[in-house]
Parts: sequence; C-alpha cells; structure tokens
Amino acid sequence: MFSLIENEVIKMISKKRLLFVIAILVALISVFAYGQHHASERIKTQLSQRMGISATTDWHKIADQQLIELKNRLDSPYRDEKDKSALRVRIEQLQYNLDNDINPLEQSAAKFTTKFMEQSIFLFLPLLIIMLASDMVSGESSSGTIKLLLVRNVPRWKVLLSKFLTLIMLEIIVLFFAFVLSEIISGLFFGFGGWNAPVATGFKLVAGKLDTSSVLNVPQWRYTLMVYSLAFFVSFVVGSISFMISVLVRSTAASIGIIMSTLVAGNFISYFLSDWKITRYMFMVNLRLTDYLSGSFQPIEGMTLLFSILVLLGWASASIIISFVYFTKKDILV
Amino acid sequence: MQQPPVLELTNLRKTIKGKDIVKGINLTLYPSQIFGFLGPNGAGKTTTIRMIVGLIKPTEGSVKICGYSVAHEFVKALSNVGCIIESPDMYQYLTGMENLLQFAAMNKAISQQRIKDVIEMVGLQHRVNDKVSTYSLGMRQRLGIAQAIISKPKLLILDEPTNGLDPAGITEFRNLIRKLAYEEGMTVFVSSHILLEIQQMCDIVSIIKQGSVVKTANIQDLLQDNDKIEWQLSDPETAISLLREHWNIQASQLKKNTISANIGPHPLAKLNEFLITEGLALTYCSATGNTLEDLFLDLTVGDEIV
Repeated sequence: MFSLIENEVIKMISKKRLLFVIAILVALISVFAYGQHHASERIKTQLSQRMGISATTDWHKIADQQLIELKNRLDSPYRDEKDKSALRVRIEQLQYNLDNDINPLEQSAAKFTTKFMEQSIFLFLPLLIIMLASDMVSGESSSGTIKLLLVRNVPRWKVLLSKFLTLIMLEIIVLFFAFVLSEIISGLFFGFGGWNAPVATGFKLVAGKLDTSSVLNVPQWRYTLMVYSLAFFVSFVVGSISFMISVLVRSTAASIGIIMSTLVAGNFISYFLSDWKITRYMFMVNLRLTDYLSGSFQPIEGMTLLFSILVLLGWASASIIISFVYFTKKDILV
Repeated sequence: MQQPPVLELTNLRKTIKGKDIVKGINLTLYPSQIFGFLGPNGAGKTTTIRMIVGLIKPTEGSVKICGYSVAHEFVKALSNVGCIIESPDMYQYLTGMENLLQFAAMNKAISQQRIKDVIEMVGLQHRVNDKVSTYSLGMRQRLGIAQAIISKPKLLILDEPTNGLDPAGITEFRNLIRKLAYEEGMTVFVSSHILLEIQQMCDIVSIIKQGSVVKTANIQDLLQDNDKIEWQLSDPETAISLLREHWNIQASQLKKNTISANIGPHPLAKLNEFLITEGLALTYCSATGNTLEDLFLDLTVGDEIV
C-alpha cells in the first residue's frame, strides 16, 4: 500500500500539477495581500484627511459612523426583506464588536490568512482541489496507463484506495501551502502578529435575525484553526466528488468541465433559487461553512453548520461508494 | 506435455451491448510454448486478451492462469502474467527508468538487478533516463516489453508486439521471445495480424474469425500439410487437365506459363516425370510451401468484419 501511494506521489510531482496549483496560490495571495494593504492604507489616509482621526486608535468613532450609515440604509423603503436581514446581521455584528472592544479594521497576517480561506472556501479552494482530483483516474484512462496498473498482482480496490489516500494528502498539502503562503506574504504587508486577538464567533441565524446569545470570543489562532479544519472538510468533500467523476468519465477535460460547471452553477443557484427547498441538499450551496462561524448571512434559511456538514458528508460518502463499486466492476476498454 | 497448463480458457464468451464479440473460446497452453493468436481486425483478439488479464469480465466461461481463476483469485493469477495490451502506453512524463520503477514498486519480488537486466535485454540502456515522451514508437515498444517481463512471469501476453519496431528490432525481438520461452520456460501468447511474424516465431497458432477459433494447430503441421508447387511449362491448359485426370490434383494457372497446385501426398519427382513423359516442356519447378497467409486468407476471407 505504501509503495502504491509513493508511486502516485511520484506521478503527481512529475506531472507538475501540484507545482502549478502552488504557483496559482502564490500569485493570488500576493495580489490579494497587496490589494488589501492598498485598500486599508487608502481608508486610513481618507479618514485622517477628512475627519482627522486615526484608524488604529480611534476606531470606535469610525464604527459608530458605520453603524449609523447601516441603520440609515436599513430604514430605506426601497430595500427588500432579504437585503434588510443581511444589513441587520452586519449591524449586530458591528455592535457586538463595539461592545466587546474588538477592532474590525485592524489588519494582521493572522486575520488575512483566515479571511483568505473564508473567501476561498466556496469557489477558489474547490477549484484547486478539482485541478488535482479530476485527473487522478481519468488521466490514466485517457493515456491508457490504467491498463498497466490493473494487470498487476494488486487488486483494483487497492489501486483506487492508494489514489484516494494520495488525494487526501494533496488536499492537506494544498491547505498547508495556502496557510503558509498567505501568512508569509501578508506578513510582509501587515506584520506577523495577531494570533491572540479575540474573534467573535458562535453567531446563529434564527428566522432571519442574528442570534448573538451564544456568541463568544476566541483567540484568532483558534478561530483560524476552525476555519482551516472546515476548509479541509470542504476539500475532502469536493475532492471525493471530483474523484468520483474522474472514475466515471474517461477524459480529464470532461471531468474538470462537469465538476466546475456544477460548482459555478451552485453559486448562483443559491441566489436565484433560494426559495426552492431542494437546493439546500446540493453540495454546492453548502460549501460556505465558515460563514456559520463568522455570522455572515446565509442565502437559504434553516441551514445550520450541522445540517451543511451532514449534507456534505452524505455527498462525500456516496461519491466514495460509487467510485469504488464502479471502479472494481467496470470493464476497461481503453 | 505432462506439465500443468499455464493458461486455460474454457468456453470464454463476451457480449457487449447485445453483440457477441467472443463466442466461446477454448484454449490450453503449456510451459515453453509460443502461441500465435491470429485474426483479422475486429475478430475479438484484444477482447479475449483483456478477459485473460481481467480487464474485462467474461459474460460466460472462465480463465485460469497457472491453475488460479482470474475471476476469483485475481492476485494469485495475475502474479504469473506480464503483458502489453494494444499499445505500449507508458507515463509520458516519466523517464523509462521511472516507469519501470513504478511497476517494480507494485511487486516486491523485483530486484534492482532484475530491472538492470531487463533494460539490457530489450536494449534500452542508452535511453532509459530520458522521458518517454521523447521515445519513438519502437523504443516505447521495447519499454513495453521490459515492463511485461520484469516480474519473470510464467505467461507473457503480447498484443501486436512488433508494431513500430525496425527490421533489426524485430529480429532481436524474435530472438528474445525464443530465449524467454525455451530458456526461461515462459509461455508466450502473441497476437498479431502480421502473419510472417507468427509463422517465424510461434509453435502453435489459432486463427480466430468473428469471435470463434476456426483452427488451432501446430504450425509445422499446418504448413507441411499441403505443399504448394509452382511449375513453369509450355502448355499450362494441358498440364492442368492431365494433373486432374491422372492424379486428381486441382491446379490453377498463375501466369502465362505458370501453374500451381497443392500436391498433397504425391511425390514431386513422380509428378515431374509424368509431366515430361506427357511431352510438356518443363522449364522450372519450385516448392513455394504453403504460407500461413494462404491458410489465413482461406479461413477468414469472404466474411465481413463484425
């Protein structure tokens, strides 16, 4: 088993796909970090020019200002209910920050690292995982090398399991690089601290309103750990699903196409069809797991962290079962 | 042939989407035999081979390799097999050496020394550290043979093995196969449509047509059965009728002054004497021998390919 996994890793490294994924990470993180830095600098200069206050010390004033602005927007008669509840959520979060002395404007590498993953979890991270997973079986089918693997004295399920375990390893590697790279690159802009700053979590959405009764402050590092754990779970689920498609479809291009279009479709399904109950059982709309931690607004009501995790787990296990059953039974005709 | 069989196919059948691709093949091969599997395109050669190595499941019938059923004892059965199926597909982004190491890692019995030996056997030592994507078809074929024999299998299955090899390579390959079969005791199963190859290399041949084996025989018997003679003489029409009347031999005219016939059990010297005493001017006579090609065309021609 170990040597089979080793084989897979050698192939993966030689194909340079992982390297490509890491290069994309470096490029994107650099752009984001620079953008974030640029934006926060501009806000600071604007604030000091217009109001003569400093963003780092006088943040209470700015937050108050924002609060008033948000409340004004809430009172506008032209907003629909969905927008309003989203605004309400933000107001209450800001209020909570004010009450508990948590500066939402302060930037740090720790914050960036977390934020980057929060923003990547529903599209960017899955895309990276898809790039790696979609090729694992279909790549061998389209090149014909699958024949060479399956005529050895190794049962088929072992061949597939070695590929699946390699995929899980790759998911961990991608997350590790995402973490390390965003920490290092953003650290150059914002400094490397911020791991002990408090972060509010535990928001609950009850009937369109944010329930802050169970909100508690955790240190940033714990919050980051939670975010990355959820990100790993999402990678595992997306990885399993694209792995299944890669088993079912012979061409890598088709397999990437299928899973990517599903994923992208899921992102607007959650906006356009949020009234349709069945959409909540689609894996694509359940990927924003970190939103449950940060209390961001969920497009479909009645979904909780537990619900999403269970739905995703269902998808992952179904994919794994289908992959193994199909792979051990199918006729190889390539 | 007292040794236990290496390969046993019993009533092997495969139906894909309602079409019978392979219709009940029976075959038994013993150690050190070189077996040729001949058939036109689409006859079911590759499907049969895929069933032997377990890539596809037979609709009916069974495959046993060294006594182990491929369906029920896959790992034990496949421990005794090395093969190339259709084209020698390798990992293009790896070097030849890395490819071999991949397969060596899947079987603990393969030593570093064995890898070296195999590379030398197929004559790849100069290019083994280059990426496979830079290889010519012939070199990929060599690498394919290397990965097939690396585990010292008892049964070596080669599907169209000489595709892309140059004439020198083909001779080398033929010698290698003979060495493996007669010195190391491997049973070699070669499928090909290159008839001369099979004729020069194999001991036993099966001809398959539309999914059924139409003839299985020792190649020497097949070819000596009916020797084909060509005569160059003055009056071909008379010669043909004389041969039919007196010897019951069906001759046919090939060229202006040439006839040919299968003389069967009749001694050639007697026939020549007869033709000369009948007043025919015999200028040339040669035994062309019946080639496998004649037999192959006899058995398979005139039928559409399924």
